[in-house]
Amino acid sequence: MTDSLLSRRGLMRYGAYGAGAAALAGVAAGWDRLTAADIPGRDDGSLVIATLGSALTPEAQRALRDGFREVHPDIKIRINAVQASDWSDFFSKILTQIAAGTAPDLVYVATEGVQLFAQRLGVPLDRWAKRDAAELRPYFADVHPSLVESMMYEGSLYQLPVEFNAADMYVNNRVLERAGGGLPDADWTRDDFTTLLRAMKRSNGARFTPYFWTNRLWGGVVPWLFANGTNLLAESKAPGGEWLWNSFYSEAQRRGRGGGYRWTTPQADSDRVAEVYDYLASLIQEDLCTRPEGGDGRNLVGVFSTGRVGVTPAGGFWAGGLHLAGMKPTDYDVRYFPRWRTRRHQFGAAGYALLRTSKMRDEAWEFIKYTTRKDVMTQLFAANQTTPARRSMVDAARYRKTGPAHWQVFYDTLDKIPTTGPIPAPPQVNEVEQLLIKHTGTALASPRTVRPALRRLQGDLEQAMEREV
Amino acid sequence: MTNTEIRPARPESVRTRKTRQSRKASERAATTARGRGTRLLAALFLAPTVVGIVVFTVLPIVGSVVLSLFQWDVIEDPRWAGVANYRKILTDSTVLVSFRNTLVFMVLAVALQLLFALVLAITVNGRMPKWLRSVFRSAFFFPLVLSAASISVVMKYLFNQDFGPVNWLLGTVGIPSVPWLTSENGAMAAVVLAYVWQQFGFSFLLFVGGLNNIPKEVHEAASLDGASGLRKHLAITLPLLSPTLLVASVVGIINALQVFEQPYVLTAGGPGDSTRTVVMVIYETAFEQLRFGEASAVGVLLFVLIMAVTALQFRLSRRYVHYQ
Repeated sequence: MTDSLLSRRGLMRYGAYGAGAAALAGVAAGWDRLTAADIPGRDDGSLVIATLGSALTPEAQRALRDGFREVHPDIKIRINAVQASDWSDFFSKILTQIAAGTAPDLVYVATEGVQLFAQRLGVPLDRWAKRDAAELRPYFADVHPSLVESMMYEGSLYQLPVEFNAADMYVNNRVLERAGGGLPDADWTRDDFTTLLRAMKRSNGARFTPYFWTNRLWGGVVPWLFANGTNLLAESKAPGGEWLWNSFYSEAQRRGRGGGYRWTTPQADSDRVAEVYDYLASLIQEDLCTRPEGGDGRNLVGVFSTGRVGVTPAGGFWAGGLHLAGMKPTDYDVRYFPRWRTRRHQFGAAGYALLRTSKMRDEAWEFIKYTTRKDVMTQLFAANQTTPARRSMVDAARYRKTGPAHWQVFYDTLDKIPTTGPIPAPPQVNEVEQLLIKHTGTALASPRTVRPALRRLQGDLEQAMEREV
Repeated sequence: MTNTEIRPARPESVRTRKTRQSRKASERAATTARGRGTRLLAALFLAPTVVGIVVFTVLPIVGSVVLSLFQWDVIEDPRWAGVANYRKILTDSTVLVSFRNTLVFMVLAVALQLLFALVLAITVNGRMPKWLRSVFRSAFFFPLVLSAASISVVMKYLFNQDFGPVNWLLGTVGIPSVPWLTSENGAMAAVVLAYVWQQFGFSFLLFVGGLNNIPKEVHEAASLDGASGLRKHLAITLPLLSPTLLVASVVGIINALQVFEQPYVLTAGGPGDSTRTVVMVIYETAFEQLRFGEASAVGVLLFVLIMAVTALQFRLSRRYVHYQ
């Protein structure tokens, strides 16, 4: 027998290898899909709730878990606080968990992700909301319908909002004093705003920044677009939702309501959008505001509280942050966003979304209901790290320690300005936000770059919106 | 010629022959058994590494290549797409710009990283107290053990146009405020500086080791021949350090082509796409836009690019690297 021929022993060895490989391949092929959930001990029968890590303190998480266990001792829950720099980062991490086969049952989702989750992953809450209508009536009576409508998609309700933040304008009182002016009028305009920035700049030196803003979907260019009576994407409302409005809201409150928002055709190259960018570019040219920087604005609290910034857009979530940074209630205040063509404001809200992969839907619904209770929300939002969705919780007692003096502005942005609406967040939101940030940075590099950048933004948005999500 | 060859061969008895054959057979059996045992032992020692490489490197690479031929959004089952993903990304301006940015970044970052590391290694290897040398070595290596994301967060504060200490320092000497993170050139410069500051410690350590391996006599002989300090470094240090330079540049280039944390945290790829790198595009396409097939295709292209650049480096090393 020559070397090139296989010996009997060799044949048997290779045969065994082949059989082993075939067996492995067979097991792999026969397995539905090997996922992280197959790791022993992963699935302990708990209701898994994913929250944005920074949204709830460890004490709040403990209170939420322990409180729910008291009411429902039969339901085991596990809170998975996912650390993320912003909502987009948070959603990416949740999607990674879903890809790994360890999808949570409930996810804390903000306006940015409501339609993305609703379309691809969420379960409508309609049947449970109808079933427990009597129990939910006090909740809906206390929550502005715009917040609820922002949690609807194509006629169905996907979340019950527990918090929101509208983009109002924070003013540093110490800077204002140096500028020799009083708090702007509640009905101030864009021109009043520009005049105030100039006065602040004159009295606070070259290294002072009158207006600071962060380049993102919430609180960036969008509130200016709303004020100028336009939007990044054409906005309309889906039909449906009557079951909810008729059950929980008065005739006046349900007028004009539908089955949730629709954001469709991009209009980034429209004249009104260009006007907004031209205005912001002019503020940059005059050195009245920062060039837009992407990110979560985490250094903003520091520069505002130390008097290096005069005004900035923020919501109720900032009261707690400024208090922690050492600002007294009298050191700052809040006003509506300046009026331009309209008084319309933007907001973002958040609540728990139930995922289709959940096998504990009824238990999850009990948790959703639990989080909407006033006593629970009071415990969770004690630090003023957000604005509670319940109107009755936004009161003088809540803001006595932290300020601002005009805390009423937070809920009045909804109650007194009925046109106020959510930030544009279609199912393609991640790509839309990324494009907005990218082209805004280029557009505001100089006044000449505004229109070419907006044309590119328009083209890219058209492609993104055509894409199936 | 040996005595054994002179001596005439004695006829071998049957018994002797049998004894010899039996001894040979038992020796062969013992050698085979020993060889089998050695091979088994070697296989056992290698098994953890091989299994690790197969599970964590080979399979993911194969998985990425396969995934690049599908459309997959995590939620629904994958759908066959053939080469459509490749066709799409090769016409996508963002992907093409990200490759250009990554190459520009790689050239700037690796050049600066090697230059700083080499100059500092030569300086630290010069005459100075032993304790001071230890302090410098630790200090230069220290950034490497820090998390890139944490460093980038701090750098973001430092480079802020309006409130950052960098512009404040420049202002004290009359230089106007630089839009580090909000202009195209400034953003790339800030990302490169942040990256180089963290990464050069590795090359520095390699160079210090390489410099210590160069015999002192060679430098002494050159000094006796009247060579200046610069001449000695150019004619002796660099050629003798070339194997270390090769390792440092290969590792540096591979790392630079995979840069992610610094641009992601510092500039989020902006302004525009000016600092968007290939790995950022992979992350955004996969985890923000749920287009895992396209993201895998970009990953495969990056893999091919890294392999090509590394192969080119080794090819060039035949000419430029001198082993003692």
